[in-house]
Amino acid sequence: MSRFFLHQEIDGDILEDPDGTEAADLAEVRQQAIEAARQLVANAILGGTAPLGRAFRITDEAGQVLLVLPFRDALPPDLFNPG
Amino acid sequence: MVPPTQSFVRNCLLSALDAADYAAVAPHLEPVDLPKGMVLIEPGKRFAEAYFFNSGIGSIVVSTTDGRRVEAGLFGRDGFAGASGLLGSDQCPQTTMVQVEGEGYRIPLGALRGACDGLPSLREMLLRYVHVFITQTSFTSLSNVTQPIEARLARWLLMCHDRVTGDDIALTHEFMSVMLAVQRPSVTTALHVIEGFGFIRARRGNITILDRDALIDFADGTYGAPEAEYRRLIGPLG
Repeated sequence: MSRFFLHQEIDGDILEDPDGTEAADLAEVRQQAIEAARQLVANAILGGTAPLGRAFRITDEAGQVLLVLPFRDALPPDLFNPG
Repeated sequence: MVPPTQSFVRNCLLSALDAADYAAVAPHLEPVDLPKGMVLIEPGKRFAEAYFFNSGIGSIVVSTTDGRRVEAGLFGRDGFAGASGLLGSDQCPQTTMVQVEGEGYRIPLGALRGACDGLPSLREMLLRYVHVFITQTSFTSLSNVTQPIEARLARWLLMCHDRVTGDDIALTHEFMSVMLAVQRPSVTTALHVIEGFGFIRARRGNITILDRDALIDFADGTYGAPEAEYRRLIGPLG
């Protein structure tokens, strides 16, 4: 298990993940990030606003960026383009 | 062992008892440390003791078969764990555990029941606490189902604040995410929003309450009713 951090990209700024999360590998933490992005978007939309962040910047414990996951990529691809 | 003197006891429920009622309970109170993560009641297992907290926070957690968990209720120096023992059952499907370390007293369920049998006023006070706790879980349900995460978190922080000394609460994002049954980044974002309003200061592993009244407004009526019931029926909370 390794520790990964899900920092959020907010308007050119970064909202830091202070604690991080344990996961077996990047694939597992990517799945966590997808579920987290869905919740962030859903919670914001229920409140009638856009989410604060637009993407997760996933890093390892050394701060190395492993993956940038736009929240858009966590949503159903045909959400705004049916068919 | 010398029983604790009532005026020194920090558990609000024990403090609020009539002297005669307290005197019946006190000889059975055994001081106990309550380390974070200590399980007080395991689901489906018989338990033999109730716990009165002087400090720290405990919670009652329920989970789905695939391991999703949510906190159903929270208590600290306001009450006690093991109330089911006074309601006719010595086992529960829920887990009761320590979330923020503290200390308190352990009392055998048999001794607590025995004291209640002889003292209706003692039983009534303890059952008033059960009523307040049920009221709390009702509002937890309201908050969980109807409110965005920011308001749920505000309410939950207020409930923790009631049960600690001072304005600092030792909490990790991980822990809050389990208690509110949300993803951890949702906690990070919600704290950022509430901090942006100036209601709290969030630092790694620590939350400082800066504007309690504003948090209460922000919780939109989901905080306050159980606490008012406590004050009406039992006494000061904290």
